[in-house]
Amino acid sequence: MIPFGLRLERRLDTKWWHTYGTPFASVVAALLTGAMFLALEGFNPLTVYRALFEVSFTSKFGITDSLTIAVPLIFTGLAAAVAFRMNLFNIGAEGQLYLGAIFGAWAGLTLTESLPAVLGVGVVLLAGMIGGALWAAPMALFKAYFGTSEIITSLMMTFIGLFLMQYLIFGSKSLWRDADVTNFPQGAKVPPSARLEQWGNTRLHWGIIVAVGFVVVVWVLIRFTSIGFNMNVVGSSPAAAAYAGIPVRATVITALMLSGTLGGLAGAMEVSGRAYALDPNGLALGLGFTGIVVAALGRYNPFAIVVVATFLGGLRNAGIAMQGMPGERVPVEVSLMLQGSILLFAIGGEVFAKNRITVTRTKAVAS
Amino acid sequence: MNETALVLTLAAAVGAAVPIALAALGELLAEKSGVLNLGVEGMMLIGAVAAFQAGNSTGNLWIALIVGSLAGGALSVVHAFLSVTLRANQIVSGLALVIFGTGLSTFVGKSIEGLPLATDFTAVAWGPLADIPLAGPLLFNQDPMVYATVAMAMAIGFYLKRTKTGLALRSVGESPATADSMGVAVAAYRYVHVIAGGVLAGMGGAYLVLAQVPSWSQAGTTAGIGWIALALVVFASWNPMRVVLGAFLFGFARRANFWLQGEGVEIPAEFLSMMPYLMTIVVLVVWGTRDLRNRMGAPASLGVSYVRDER
Repeated sequence: MIPFGLRLERRLDTKWWHTYGTPFASVVAALLTGAMFLALEGFNPLTVYRALFEVSFTSKFGITDSLTIAVPLIFTGLAAAVAFRMNLFNIGAEGQLYLGAIFGAWAGLTLTESLPAVLGVGVVLLAGMIGGALWAAPMALFKAYFGTSEIITSLMMTFIGLFLMQYLIFGSKSLWRDADVTNFPQGAKVPPSARLEQWGNTRLHWGIIVAVGFVVVVWVLIRFTSIGFNMNVVGSSPAAAAYAGIPVRATVITALMLSGTLGGLAGAMEVSGRAYALDPNGLALGLGFTGIVVAALGRYNPFAIVVVATFLGGLRNAGIAMQGMPGERVPVEVSLMLQGSILLFAIGGEVFAKNRITVTRTKAVAS
Repeated sequence: MNETALVLTLAAAVGAAVPIALAALGELLAEKSGVLNLGVEGMMLIGAVAAFQAGNSTGNLWIALIVGSLAGGALSVVHAFLSVTLRANQIVSGLALVIFGTGLSTFVGKSIEGLPLATDFTAVAWGPLADIPLAGPLLFNQDPMVYATVAMAMAIGFYLKRTKTGLALRSVGESPATADSMGVAVAAYRYVHVIAGGVLAGMGGAYLVLAQVPSWSQAGTTAGIGWIALALVVFASWNPMRVVLGAFLFGFARRANFWLQGEGVEIPAEFLSMMPYLMTIVVLVVWGTRDLRNRMGAPASLGVSYVRDER
């Protein structure tokens, strides 16, 4: 049927250029693919790419805006990484983010009025973490006790969370909705004590520091604690872990709940640092799904996640900014398309980095 | 009066079920071969935008449907290559497909956003049969794709259970090593069925613009139907006819608002929209415990790459 096949052999000597070269090669290949579609639609790819780069990474406001978008991506990236590196596929960080925002906004609206800002923000973030963890709980428990696919459960919970968020603002006169605005329903703004301060006249807020802090926390947890050790063993072989006396069930629950907590934190941070309200349209941006891209491109390494999140944040920011630019009106979706193709090339490239690939002439051997 | 509202809602649910059923049947085929393709939403969007473009430039409904299906199939080739040949992580690859498909379709569809379509599927009344109460509007006054979808589900059921190729396909999904030793070309089976899945998802997307929504409007066209289709496969425990019934149930949940409001039942629209997802979780938990999974029909090697050397 297929006249040739690809034979994959695991490389015994993975050179540094295999490890670091492939992500860059993936980006280049994705940009070329993107260029093809841009040209087909009548845009000059070079102009678009130059504008993309200039908008996101050269001006002061460009950089700060890119970093602002990177904040939630770092959290959702960590959320995905914590679970995925254990072969637990929590793809519901998106929904955990919504619940984090719902809980965070609730805390901001009801608890923080009389608190000093540092404490108020802390309360909002803590509430968001609880919200995210609660939303991840069914997935974690069903997985641990019934072996139910966490992929489907987390995905379903994401949509339930989305409709819940929409109900709170558009479908009811809830606590979250601004009672003074009647024409178009909006979320009620949280008091200043629940907001993270912005830097100067930029949109960047202290959340970026918190995000980097959590990167270090997650790294320490994975590398230096017994919980992290258990997670690593269960991830590589649940059977071996059980044999060694590691509580597999508890470890799976811990990892998935931790993942949900980080997703919830992303949502609360968006409320506290950027949206200042439960804003369904401003929160349902696919930040949770993009987190999976971030984690996969960063190979589930916490520090690499910061770099990738900044890069993808810039891409997203450029997409938004370019839509409003005079002259060539490039649709915002260019950045989404590029994101998708970067990821596609990257996961393909990963295989090239780890394996020697030879083309065989016989019937499909590798499969 | 209210009874007519219910009948109208049920009849509308039939149409709403078609794209869900088509995409889910496609996903079922891919999953039976052992490949999980989370990219349904992306393939549906590409199918929808391609069908719209083709429909507007040719004015021919069937050409539009075919172009949409092929576009969905083309995108699924990427997933097949990554997950079967390169043995990449199927989950990440599927999600990448959604992101890429969403981006590409909205980008390509920018120029046609909000435009009306020149041609669309219309219901065909079966003469006097269409006047039978309840059964008439439900069964005998639908567009051709409704019947085609049911026929396809039956054909797929027959294919899986009664043909030699279908048996080989199931063995590839259950135990590729065994299938391989029996001389079944595992990779070829996986490629063909992943692509068939993409074609059906693309067809579902095409049907959306050709029959359900009057124009192309970004991701609003599919509104998460691709994800529902993924849930439906599990909900229907990998059984094609149950996919059709489940699609009708999910379609009803999407259309029930209209009827309930007429009845004076105050269920918020958002809660109705949650129903398919909640039902899927319940089904998963109730029937999906580890011991029962085999009886449910989940392919044992779903999501696992096959490497001959490591057998």
